[in-house]
Amino acid sequence: MNYFQLFGIEASFDVDLQNLSSNYQALQKAAHPDKFAHASEQDQRIAVQKSAQINDAYQTLKQPLPRAEYILVQRGVDMPNEQHSFSDTGFLLHQMELREMLEDVKLASDADAALLEVQQVLSSEYLQLTQLMRAQISENNSASNNAACDNLRKLKFYQKLNIEVDRLEDALFDD
Amino acid sequence: MAYSEKVIDHYENPRNVGSMDKNDPTVATGMVGAPACGDVMRLQLKISADGIIEDAKFKTYGCGSAIASSSLVTEWVKGKSIEEAGKIKNTDIAEELALPPVKIHCSILAEDAIKAAIEDYKSKQGK
Repeated sequence: MNYFQLFGIEASFDVDLQNLSSNYQALQKAAHPDKFAHASEQDQRIAVQKSAQINDAYQTLKQPLPRAEYILVQRGVDMPNEQHSFSDTGFLLHQMELREMLEDVKLASDADAALLEVQQVLSSEYLQLTQLMRAQISENNSASNNAACDNLRKLKFYQKLNIEVDRLEDALFDD
Repeated sequence: MAYSEKVIDHYENPRNVGSMDKNDPTVATGMVGAPACGDVMRLQLKISADGIIEDAKFKTYGCGSAIASSSLVTEWVKGKSIEEAGKIKNTDIAEELALPPVKIHCSILAEDAIKAAIEDYKSKQGK
């Protein structure tokens, strides 16, 4: 049973998060190990495993990047090893510019405005790339799946950048 | 996780940080990235007419091990021919810096950056 079947929803990148969350709670309640306190040792073990599986499934499906990766892997797309270097020069040059832009926020006279600008650029590019990947996932042929996989790898660079932005925001305004 | 002394040294005093004009025909630029950790590395080599690396610069956004790996590589490649530089293996880098297994990919990234720079140089020369 795959994660989508587990939650009784269609295997798609578009997931109704509210529905997913309520299904998750219902499933977790039914499989809660406390309910099996008086059951046989084997049933207890199965309940613990089931509960862990429901948890893994929920964590995977509720976030867009792990969800996309899960869909692509289920389709048999050959995901390059995470450690494998990425060498799209144009994309990487742009990533370096974005990181330089983020670095300059600290030196800006109005750090607040500079940070906001970076956040806007990042969120618009992230959204654009996500929409592209979403269309490629729903197209679902071998070329589009590979293109989606490529964009998923690109999105991971943005995810990392967003973590840096949050860190910087905390450092700048948390005092 | 504890970094080795060599990693800390390169991280605190990185060698050869900077950039060169990527449009200069004698400058080779290698750009590589690692989606797993979001690291981005740029290695630039200034190459003489007889194929010797005269200067090297890098800029890396990433963890201490990624910065140390690229910093070390700029020291190693200077004075080498591009053939010799192309033979530098990630295992040499990882060994020199005593990188733990989870950071081996940083040394792979540095090796790939050298290869990408050499590719860039060859394509520039071919033109």
